[in-house]
Amino acid sequence: MKSTFLISFIFFSFAIYAQDTIPTYKKRVLETTEVDIVASYYSQDGDNAAVTGGRGTEELTDFAPSIIIAIPLNADDVFTIDAGVSAYTSASSSNVDAFDGDTADPFVASSGASGSDLWANGVFSYSHSSDDRNKVWGAKVSVSSEYDYFSLGFGANYTYLFNEKNTEISANANVYLDQWTRIYPEELRFDIENETDFEDLDPLPNTNRNSYSLGLGFSQILSKNSQASLSLDLVQQEGLLSTPFHRVYFSDKPDIFVENFQLGDDIERLPDTRFKIAIGGRLNYYINETFVLRTYYRYYTDDWGIDSHTASIEVPIKLSSKFTLYPSYRFYNQTASDYFYEYNTALSTDDFYTSDYDLSKFTAHQYGLGVTYTDIFTNFKISKWGLKSIDLKFDQYSRDSGLNFFLISTGLKFVHD
Amino acid sequence: MKTAIKIFCAFCVITQLTSCVVVKEYEKVNINDPDMALSDKAVKKGESNALAYREAASGANGGKTGGGCGCN
Repeated sequence: MKSTFLISFIFFSFAIYAQDTIPTYKKRVLETTEVDIVASYYSQDGDNAAVTGGRGTEELTDFAPSIIIAIPLNADDVFTIDAGVSAYTSASSSNVDAFDGDTADPFVASSGASGSDLWANGVFSYSHSSDDRNKVWGAKVSVSSEYDYFSLGFGANYTYLFNEKNTEISANANVYLDQWTRIYPEELRFDIENETDFEDLDPLPNTNRNSYSLGLGFSQILSKNSQASLSLDLVQQEGLLSTPFHRVYFSDKPDIFVENFQLGDDIERLPDTRFKIAIGGRLNYYINETFVLRTYYRYYTDDWGIDSHTASIEVPIKLSSKFTLYPSYRFYNQTASDYFYEYNTALSTDDFYTSDYDLSKFTAHQYGLGVTYTDIFTNFKISKWGLKSIDLKFDQYSRDSGLNFFLISTGLKFVHD
Repeated sequence: MKTAIKIFCAFCVITQLTSCVVVKEYEKVNINDPDMALSDKAVKKGESNALAYREAASGANGGKTGGGCGCN
């Protein structure tokens, strides 16, 4: 009896040990490598270019292709590369050098090299999920470069899921260390009065722009058909927060024209710190097999005097198992910055001034329509890559201050077999 | 700032009231629909980038909050 008990005990102990050591099935965070190829074409027009002090063409086109590759390193870890370029031509930027062309005019693009540029960007991120998939942490490094701007960024994030994955809290922190190459409006580069280069007057001694952000997130499943999230972002920026080639015209200085072009009185001047707070909330509701309701609201405020409200609604409509339609509407308004002045109204005695209408008071409406083709079986293949979805989206944006843009975006998603 | 705090508190209260609801994994068919995701699709990358340049407000949407570009 004693030996039977002993054998049973040993067997039972081994059984428990074996249960602990048998590898349990763990679903991979990402089953296979996924590739998103995204491209957008953007075209805007308006009459309030900041380069020409709030009066002049804002015509701009931009083509921005990018590729996002998510690679599962093992069951728990994912490495993601997000790389893209943005090639743009800008009539207002060309007027940094307004006298390159036949006629100097704020409403006509100059032929100078400043009228086009290429922005290249890469973000490399890594994420690790715990065995129970309730904890996720990640880190990222980003780099971007264009002719007069370079940025290096670092970030980390942590997510914790609980309440049977009904509740999620997250935190992220990012640092961007950016650097401007100062390019001034052509006529301001040499100060005739002082017979010296504008640069030598040291108008903008600091060329760094550092941004530090802290983000907090909370999401909650509210029912079988609805879920919501709340995000809070706090951002502190320091350094050169103005754009060196934006002109300002003073009302207390004589207006001097060469051809049709008014010579700038100064470049824009803005404080070297800015603190931003943004709070956003999302509420998504699954109405039925055909309709989903997606809503978003954000309140934003900063210490430059800008308050803003953003609200959007999107109603995905499933036309079939493969096609979904995405009509959307977005409302946006903001108050003007304390430092904003309309064309030719700033005073030379002020410390800070800008005529950048992106910092003015305005209301904007955006209408969008998208369509998505989804094939969960990835029947169409290119080599070992199966096409999972195709997106096409069109957006029309208009401000009551006169600026309009339209945007066409496309996306292809491939998964590796 | 006061408005921001009020909105934050209101949302916390609302979500706490409903957080006693626990939806089981097998009941999350609708929640797991791709259109129910609480983030934007990759195709919206160009849109969020454009808005970061054209508007003063940014952040709280998973996109740019400042830095990394010569935008607002």
